[in-house]
Amino acid sequence: MRGNYRSASIFRTGQHQRIAFTPLWTLLSVFTGAMLALMVVQAAAPLSAWALPTPLDTVNQVINQSLPVLRDKHTPVPQRRRQLRGLLERHFDFPDMARITLGYHWRELKPAQRDQFTELFTAFIENAYLSKIQDYSGQDVAVLGQNSEGAGFTRVSSQIIQPGKAPIKVDYLLRELDGDWKIYDVTVDAISIVANYRNQFNRVINDQGFDKLMADMRAKQQQLQASMGS
Amino acid sequence: MAVSEPIMRRMRAKPSIRMVASLSMAVLVTLMVVSSTFAQSSMGADQAAQPKLPGERAMPGEAGGPYPDPLEPFNSAVFNFNIDVDQWVVTPVAKGYSYVMPVQGRQSVANFFRNIGVIPRFANNLFQLHPYNAANELARFGINSTLGVAGLFDVADSWFGMKQHNDDFGLTLGHYGIYSGPYVMLPFLGPSTVRDTVGLVVDGCMNPMSWLLPWYVTVPADVGSAAINAVNYRSLHPNQFEEADRYAVDLYGAVQDAYMQTRTAELKRVAQ
Repeated sequence: MRGNYRSASIFRTGQHQRIAFTPLWTLLSVFTGAMLALMVVQAAAPLSAWALPTPLDTVNQVINQSLPVLRDKHTPVPQRRRQLRGLLERHFDFPDMARITLGYHWRELKPAQRDQFTELFTAFIENAYLSKIQDYSGQDVAVLGQNSEGAGFTRVSSQIIQPGKAPIKVDYLLRELDGDWKIYDVTVDAISIVANYRNQFNRVINDQGFDKLMADMRAKQQQLQASMGS
Repeated sequence: MAVSEPIMRRMRAKPSIRMVASLSMAVLVTLMVVSSTFAQSSMGADQAAQPKLPGERAMPGEAGGPYPDPLEPFNSAVFNFNIDVDQWVVTPVAKGYSYVMPVQGRQSVANFFRNIGVIPRFANNLFQLHPYNAANELARFGINSTLGVAGLFDVADSWFGMKQHNDDFGLTLGHYGIYSGPYVMLPFLGPSTVRDTVGLVVDGCMNPMSWLLPWYVTVPADVGSAAINAVNYRSLHPNQFEEADRYAVDLYGAVQDAYMQTRTAELKRVAQ
């Protein structure tokens, strides 16, 4: 009937019937529309968004948990190092990094040598990273975003903001291992750390052999350890 | 006339320029022929046959790789020479220099040298068909030379947000597909490749002073200004060498890889 309800042209039927906009009908239609919208969004978003950590989560965790430790001048340095070491072991994929840095020499090693090398390489990288604590002077880190590099591989870009100077670009390459994303390479200003060590180790193994490489790396790692202890 | 005499003397000295030019052309043609036959050297002949384990083939997103280094004995010797020059000559002078000059002054000196190096940047941006960047470099030069007091202050960047677009002839050659050639360590100048060395020579010839003034004026002037620039740069980055040495198991390999990866990234940048 004509009256004080508005007509909606989209609901106009052939017989010029008008559906009344009663409050109950409005409520039901809005509720249905919202449910439909939510279902569409949930279907479109990847399952991992709610179930499993994303690469960005991993990088954000590393940064957000390490920056306070780096900035905290009150806690003694050895304790801060222990906290950072735990962070590194949780989020970095050291076995993969060790294998990549040896490249095709990996297949020439016996399993005992491989284990030795992985252990030494892990200690070396950890010491290198931790010895940078004294160089940190409160810079902020901005995580910019992630790009897929293929199935199970991602690149996360970030920047270290230095007041008065150009920012340092730091990229992280992550791979998925058992539902968790772990870092297997760090690229600082276009120089990939793993590739750099791969070139060095390749040269040392070709010129002087694997044992010399282990000896040199052990010496460097102990130098770093000594410089941190002082 | 007094003005035309040096120019006349310069034109009579042309044979030496001709020699340099023909040598550069010979090297360039060789590199072009080589790049038309293969793009990248492989790591070793036996690698191609066997299937590769993860970590042997490049992981997604990976860069770099072992580099062919046929000139390694020469490069090693020059590398050790460069380290000695740095340790015994450049670093002590840089320490004294930084004691005398405040850091803002040293930054201004660095800006000055960057400013007068505009011609290779302008020309190479044009060669790579980036007209906007080339015009940007010209405008930066104009602004910095006037408002920035002879280039001492980079006001084009700090006031107008005009960023510098680094470019050189080595990148131009790489942009057009010329193979990089083996790694070469240049005395005093540091790491390079055959292609980048040709690029350095060509960029050096773009200096207008070398065409207007006799060689016994420009060569000492160039050497002197390069020395001042090196000492100034060293004083602004005092720990760079020591840092590289602290974390490197093999310093030669670290420097080589850092240089090659940086150039590859630069090539990717100018390709956009």
